[in-house]
Amino acid sequence: MQPVMGTEQDLLLKQKKKNLNRKRLDTWLLLLPTLGIFLFFFLLPLFFLFITSFKTFDPGSGIGSEWTLQNYIKFISDPFYLGVVWRTVKIALITTLVTIIISYPVAFQISKAKGRAKNYLTLLVLSPLLISMVIRCYGWVIILSNNGVVNNTLMSLGWIDTPLTLLYTEFSVVIGMVHVLFPYMVLSIMGSIERIDPSVIRASQNLGASSFRTFFSVLLPLTLPGIFAGSVMVFSLSVSSFVTPAILGGPQVKVMSYLTYEQVAVMLNWPYGGAIGFLLIFIATVTIIAYSKILARSEKGVAIQ
Amino acid sequence: MKKKRLPKFIFNFFCFLVYVFLLAPIVVILLSSLTTTEYIVFPPKGLTLRWYTELVNHPEFMSSFALSITVAFGTAIIATAIGTLASLAVVRREFKGKTAVVQLVGSPLLIPSVVFGVALLQFYSWIGLAASPLALVIGHIILTVPFVMRLVVASLVGFDRSIESAAMNLGAGPLKVFFQITLPVIKSGVIAGMIFAFITSFDDLTVALFIVSTDVVTLPVRIYTYMQYQYDPIITSVSSIMIIFTVILMVIIERILGVGKVFSSK
Amino acid sequence: MSYLRLENVVKTFNKTEVVKKLSLEIEKGELMSFLGPSGCGKTTTLNMIAGFLEVDGGKIEVDGKPVHLLPPNKREMGMVFQNYALFPHMTVFDNVAYGLKLRKVAKSEINTRVLEALEMVRLAGYEKRYPKELSGGQQQRVSLARALVIKPKVLLLDEPLSNLDAKLRQEMREEIVDIQKKVGITTIFVTHDQEEALAISDRIAVMYEGRIEQVDEPAAIYNHPETDFVSQFIGEVNRVQGKVLETYDDQKSKLHFFGNEQIVPVRYTRNSEVDFFIRPEKIQLSLANSDNAGFETKVERKMFLGAKTRYILKAQDKQLVADVSNTVLNPNQIQEESHVFAYWNPEDLLPSRKAR
Repeated sequence: MQPVMGTEQDLLLKQKKKNLNRKRLDTWLLLLPTLGIFLFFFLLPLFFLFITSFKTFDPGSGIGSEWTLQNYIKFISDPFYLGVVWRTVKIALITTLVTIIISYPVAFQISKAKGRAKNYLTLLVLSPLLISMVIRCYGWVIILSNNGVVNNTLMSLGWIDTPLTLLYTEFSVVIGMVHVLFPYMVLSIMGSIERIDPSVIRASQNLGASSFRTFFSVLLPLTLPGIFAGSVMVFSLSVSSFVTPAILGGPQVKVMSYLTYEQVAVMLNWPYGGAIGFLLIFIATVTIIAYSKILARSEKGVAIQ
Repeated sequence: MKKKRLPKFIFNFFCFLVYVFLLAPIVVILLSSLTTTEYIVFPPKGLTLRWYTELVNHPEFMSSFALSITVAFGTAIIATAIGTLASLAVVRREFKGKTAVVQLVGSPLLIPSVVFGVALLQFYSWIGLAASPLALVIGHIILTVPFVMRLVVASLVGFDRSIESAAMNLGAGPLKVFFQITLPVIKSGVIAGMIFAFITSFDDLTVALFIVSTDVVTLPVRIYTYMQYQYDPIITSVSSIMIIFTVILMVIIERILGVGKVFSSK
Repeated sequence: MSYLRLENVVKTFNKTEVVKKLSLEIEKGELMSFLGPSGCGKTTTLNMIAGFLEVDGGKIEVDGKPVHLLPPNKREMGMVFQNYALFPHMTVFDNVAYGLKLRKVAKSEINTRVLEALEMVRLAGYEKRYPKELSGGQQQRVSLARALVIKPKVLLLDEPLSNLDAKLRQEMREEIVDIQKKVGITTIFVTHDQEEALAISDRIAVMYEGRIEQVDEPAAIYNHPETDFVSQFIGEVNRVQGKVLETYDDQKSKLHFFGNEQIVPVRYTRNSEVDFFIRPEKIQLSLANSDNAGFETKVERKMFLGAKTRYILKAQDKQLVADVSNTVLNPNQIQEESHVFAYWNPEDLLPSRKAR
């Protein structure tokens, strides 16, 4: 009896091993295409660019042969460039603030809407996302230019004599960014509004709080996570944004993304452009991490379903 | 009662203004495309379809449009296919380095795309890959797979796997289970991912700006460069066509899936 | 010759054995229930039979041939899941036809067989409906039709009635037994509901902590439980302690308990204290102690349960629960706080034994 049992056990173990290996192979096959593309066409290029940012600039080929930290030092120590960093961050901050202010009421209104109205309003808010940023920004160019809608209206109303310079200013960049990033904030806030346990609102009203009070003491704090999450998204997208500042700010309102482009595409200074790019990545990443930490700390005792 | 009405009115009016703000640039472009003037003006002076017929004299816009569609289509198909497969692995399997993989695939959302564009351009020139639809598709796949995976993973997370067991019990092998059972049930997540990938690729300027040559110019790039030197209404008609195209696409999707379904998978 | 055979089947999760060298033989056409509390391993064992879990030791054979190495789609078994697991994107017809399509059965034959199967579960006319339009009971019936239409060798049911309400459960279990007998298919029915198991099974395998405690026909399980677990798990029992006063040669002992003595047909050791069980319905009550066989108890509470009344009794500081049919004893005759005499037949005592 013994030997027969032995072979049976062997067969079992062999089969189990086969199944396990098959499973492992399957898993890697599923991941291979994506992993392959990401390693080869995402990680590797970024890695090479990173290396390049430590090389000197050669006007002929674009990339020199020696190693240097100059690219980074040059940027960090030059007040002009630091000014660009500040401007990038400033625009992002203002954008985030404005977005919060205009998103909240809309998010609130849509959450309270019912049925078809809700669907249509949601679609309305999200539809700009579907239309190319390039087009949207050009819409704003037309509106804000010297003989654009705003100026023409103001002049015909007699409120101003000469056109206001609205375009190619930080103002126009902020307008464009708010327009582009608004849906993200609305969705985020809507998410947290809808997750609130309605009985909490009812309890507040039952205890005698006015609508105003209920809003400020109950609703707003409970939706803070949504506001925070939305702000992280909007801020980091704003800092990294290229299209909007390029079109609505142009060379007059240079932000870091534009500098990166300019150094590489116009000046052909790959090392310096790369360095600026990685500094931009650094800023964006640091923001997200910092925000996440604050978000984690502020999430205490929220009555969310 | 009157006291309650005023704040409510202000609130609704404020929201209304925001909606106007949202639609303003789009409406402006659509209407400006009808102007009879040689320059862009809003409100348009006179109405004409001239700038649409003018497009015939600008074949470069047509070819850019065709290129953008092709690239978007290729991106959508490939990104959705590989993203869905990867999502299956991420949701259902445990493996070493899983967190690293998940972060890697999610990182294009965190990296400013201009830096990625620069890096890709440098890499392409090193490996000798000239600007081409393929080069664009690869770049766009990187940008869109994270979205596809978000949407597909969301559909897979709540998935009741007992129906897959039932299918196996009835005799279906793993491939049949995937195509006949799993895929149909996560259909809305996959399709939402495909749409998102298509639109993201079609609209991309940042990365496409770096992958460009005389005959490889996507529509957004074409519009951007054109506007730097000229300010005539042809841009508005091209843009309007893009808008109309996107709207039609969304209407078709809505008919097939229903609005709620597409956005609920978010 | 057994049709479905488990031999020393083992399953390990995270270094713990959840199924411990389980052996079982199931006859062809038999309806065998796996009964036990959650965590006893019944569903794990079922999943190993179906092929959804790998066997870590031992083997499983169907009709003499080993199946434990086969993938689940090659075992020719039909399974009915607890949550029905109907394909949500297919109609009832397509759900039931799925297995047949996989087997490349001709379209016309598929049609006939599917309609037959739906008739058998009394769902003729529902072909075009979708699962979400059906009630729980209807979905379960489709699930059954789907499993049976492919004419599997074995039918596996994983707590199929747990998600249904009480009335529906009773109706459905009768239907299931009817169909099973009509088709004559070897069936395993996993459940934690003992009434269900007792009602429908040809035999019950009572499981606990990965082992089979007892395999027997329902009556034997109920009246002659072989381990303490089975005694306590099936039906209700009172646990009683007694002292052995004397022992006799013909395997009898005299027990003393509650100030009473009884001769029971089990061999014990003299002077030892023994535990045994007595079921509530086996305790007889009377107002008078006619032949001095009974012992006195105090009625702490009585609960009218329709056909019977439950009396909570206290005897020498120990509680006893007695269920007495109301036709045998009129509950109005017994008041709370009064005294009654309790008696039981020595043959009804279930001795406490450690597990086999």
